[in-house]
Amino acid sequence: MIGFVVLALLMIASAIFTVTAKKPVYSVVGLLVNFIALAITYLTLHAEFLAVIQIVVYSGAILILFVFVIALLSSGTKPFEPGPNRMPRAVIPAVIFGVAGFAAIVVAISKTVFAPAVIAGATGDANVFGSVADFGTALFTTNLLPFEVTAFVLMVAIVGVVLLAGDEAPGRRAPKRIAREPISPPREPIAR
Amino acid sequence: MNAPVEAYIIVAAILFFIGVVGVIARRNPLIQLMSIELLFNSANLALVTFARSWANNAGHVFAFLVITVAAAEAAIGLAIVVIVFRKTTFVDVDEVATLKG
Amino acid sequence: MVQDHPLLFLIWLMPLFGAVILWAFGPQLKSMAGPIGSALIGVPFIAALTMWSEATTGAGAHQALFSWLPQFTFGLQLDRISLVWTMIITGVGFLIHVYSIGYMAGDKAFARFFAYLNFFIFAMLTLVLSDNFVGLLVGWGLVGLASYLLIGYYFERPAAVAASRKAFVINVVGDIGILYAVFVIVAKIGAIGYGDVFSHVSKFSSGELFAVCLGLFIGCAAKSAQVPLHTWLPDAMEGPTPVSALIHAATMVTAGVYLIARCAPLWNASSDARVLVGSIGALTALTGAILGCAQWDIKRILAYSTMSQIGYMIMGVGVGAYDAGILHFLTHAFFKAQLFLGAGIIIHNLANQQDVRLMGGLRKQMPFAFAAMTIGVLSICGIPGFSGFFSKDAVLSGTLAHGHPVMWAVGVLTAGLTAYYMFRMLFVTFLGVYRGNVDPSELGLRHPELAGTAVAHADEDEHAHVDAHAPAWLMSGPVALLMIPTVLIGWLDAGGDGSPWGRFFEPVFGAFVPAASTPPDVLTSLIVLMLVAAGITVAYMRYGNPAALLDAIPRLRAETVRMPSALTHAFYFDAAIDALFVRPSIALGGFFSRVIDPHVIDAGVREAGISANWLGHLFRSFQTGLVRAYALALAFGAACFALYYVWIGAGR
Repeated sequence: MIGFVVLALLMIASAIFTVTAKKPVYSVVGLLVNFIALAITYLTLHAEFLAVIQIVVYSGAILILFVFVIALLSSGTKPFEPGPNRMPRAVIPAVIFGVAGFAAIVVAISKTVFAPAVIAGATGDANVFGSVADFGTALFTTNLLPFEVTAFVLMVAIVGVVLLAGDEAPGRRAPKRIAREPISPPREPIAR
Repeated sequence: MNAPVEAYIIVAAILFFIGVVGVIARRNPLIQLMSIELLFNSANLALVTFARSWANNAGHVFAFLVITVAAAEAAIGLAIVVIVFRKTTFVDVDEVATLKG
Repeated sequence: MVQDHPLLFLIWLMPLFGAVILWAFGPQLKSMAGPIGSALIGVPFIAALTMWSEATTGAGAHQALFSWLPQFTFGLQLDRISLVWTMIITGVGFLIHVYSIGYMAGDKAFARFFAYLNFFIFAMLTLVLSDNFVGLLVGWGLVGLASYLLIGYYFERPAAVAASRKAFVINVVGDIGILYAVFVIVAKIGAIGYGDVFSHVSKFSSGELFAVCLGLFIGCAAKSAQVPLHTWLPDAMEGPTPVSALIHAATMVTAGVYLIARCAPLWNASSDARVLVGSIGALTALTGAILGCAQWDIKRILAYSTMSQIGYMIMGVGVGAYDAGILHFLTHAFFKAQLFLGAGIIIHNLANQQDVRLMGGLRKQMPFAFAAMTIGVLSICGIPGFSGFFSKDAVLSGTLAHGHPVMWAVGVLTAGLTAYYMFRMLFVTFLGVYRGNVDPSELGLRHPELAGTAVAHADEDEHAHVDAHAPAWLMSGPVALLMIPTVLIGWLDAGGDGSPWGRFFEPVFGAFVPAASTPPDVLTSLIVLMLVAAGITVAYMRYGNPAALLDAIPRLRAETVRMPSALTHAFYFDAAIDALFVRPSIALGGFFSRVIDPHVIDAGVREAGISANWLGHLFRSFQTGLVRAYALALAFGAACFALYYVWIGAGR
């Protein structure tokens, strides 16, 4: 129980830090801590394979991608100048909706009866719930089609990214960059 | 498991709504994308919790697929961000409101 | 099972065929249109003659048309009542067609006239040959249309156009009455066939029956020019004279009489309706006669006399003396057609001059017309031996026998007035010296008090006299032929109660036994004769005797000037209708046009557009283009869903 509480607090704190950090690199670090805490949580839930995947794929690949893009976008310019906020105080309704949704989930949980199953067998043994063998069997027999489709999705993503963001010839002198627009005047009233 | 199922779900819910607030309240698209990753992860946590609760593998498989698709989506989202903000001096979602009507 | 008689199709549809052919190929047919149109009316006449025996046996000859709803079957029937009307429509119609070939010769739309006349015959046949109320109503409307087309035949004249419109509108008022009655009949009985309705008369309560009869009678009053819906008939004289003869004397205006005779079972069951109809008929007879004494246009004199005589017919069939009323229709068809056609000969030869003050002395110039008109006048006045005598006395004695002494008195008085004004017309037109060359103001024409009487049309020439005149026999032949029944046909009713006419209609209307206290018919005849003699005498004293003839011009002028304005304005019916209905309608229309249309209807349409615009602007304000706003909306929706499912629930 203690472990769970510690992990939970860690996850929540890092999430809040991610969302409120001033610089994106700080957010990436916060997210990294969140992912690691989540992976450990998976371990406590008998999902060993997924814990490893979480660290390898999520923290190891996706976050690195984020770091690369941050680097790309901030090259040679004053990074991320804050401009006028077009939706000031948008946090307030967001928090309200968030709290409302959260309250709904809490109520739903309070009305549900959970009876966790008993898992027999040592962790890591083959064919015990959560083992790699068990997971592999499930993935490659019952869920083979989704697996193949997901592979296809990944291919599409690769092609898409190359199409979208490729083709920028390197080495030119820095092109003129578009500056931000001033805030537009209020719109005209409805013509009668 | 160390704690009752309800606890895990409540934690997942908290993470989810932190992610939602992050998407709405931040103007930097990269931080928005990271908040979206938070959403995915909270969903994964719920899936894995219920998989453990019913001792059913399907939750794990589903979470695995979610991770994969989230990776693809993050890649494409980042590519879009790169293209849109390549030639600008700012990285601010509020400035690219070109669909304003 | 009722046997079909396909010959009825021929009788019914041949005039329609003629109308279509003549209308479509009029310009190519040119003067062949006249003989073609006439032949296509003559053949149905002969066909109807051959069906005499089938029509007079049992319930008559029947031909089913189609069945629209289970209780709404349409068909044609030729029974005794329809037979009389069909013979008159096609027979007199044929003669008038032949006459028109001569009268309308040289007219630039010759074929169109015959197309319209054929169409009218078809419409009238629809009316009398239908075996159900809806077919009757269809025919009713179609004859109204035919009348509109024919009154407005000279459509370049504004007076003709106004007259045709007036006739049509007043007829529509009548149509509404009949429509209402048909609605009540269908609501109560559920069928429209005459047989079905009349066998279930007892299903009506007395109030409903009176309402039905009232509705039907409003239609009759409009179509047959009864007070107060009579104002269209004098104006309808704007149409060509054959039209006036056929439609506004012999056939269309008698549609009301046909309707009442056909619906005899309804009228037999409602004494209130009988009193109403009889009273209006008597009142119309008297009004028409009084107004006829004040007219100077020869066609208007005849128009008011038509109105008056139809009042007699309506009175006759209204009180229950159905065969008397139908007999008067029969004799009237002949002598009124003859009077109109004779007047047409005069008008034609005088180049459309219609004012009797500018006539005079035509006895020597047009002896044939004089003979024809005299015979017609003698018949209409009820001189013994002529047909009108029998029919008029039948109506009057029938009225008395059915127990309506007041109506009888009015009818008798009207007979005297009829004699007076018809002989007035005869004397002023034919005796004395021809006044056509006299300066009109000497005779009082174009005098300020003249509003309401017709001014001479002599300055407008409707006929383009390009070719030589058509042979005179085309016009005098039919008139000569009409003289025979004008004199003789009344003899069908000779012989009191056992007459051929009475026996002919006994299977339809039953035998009527008058109350024991009824005075004998001879009394009626004698009193009428006395009054007729008095009327002729007065007319002679004023217009006919040699002293009056010498003094004609000043006397006519004095009469014109001193005519009471109530008479020149036709008892102000037109003015009353104008004030009560026409002006308020125009004012209402103006109100709608100035106020409602721009400020309510247009404003509503405009506002619909503007509100669509406003709504669009409202939704446009949602499209900020900001991703964060869209994400906020998503979060809002998700929160709503979550709350909904938790609190209000999906199942569980």
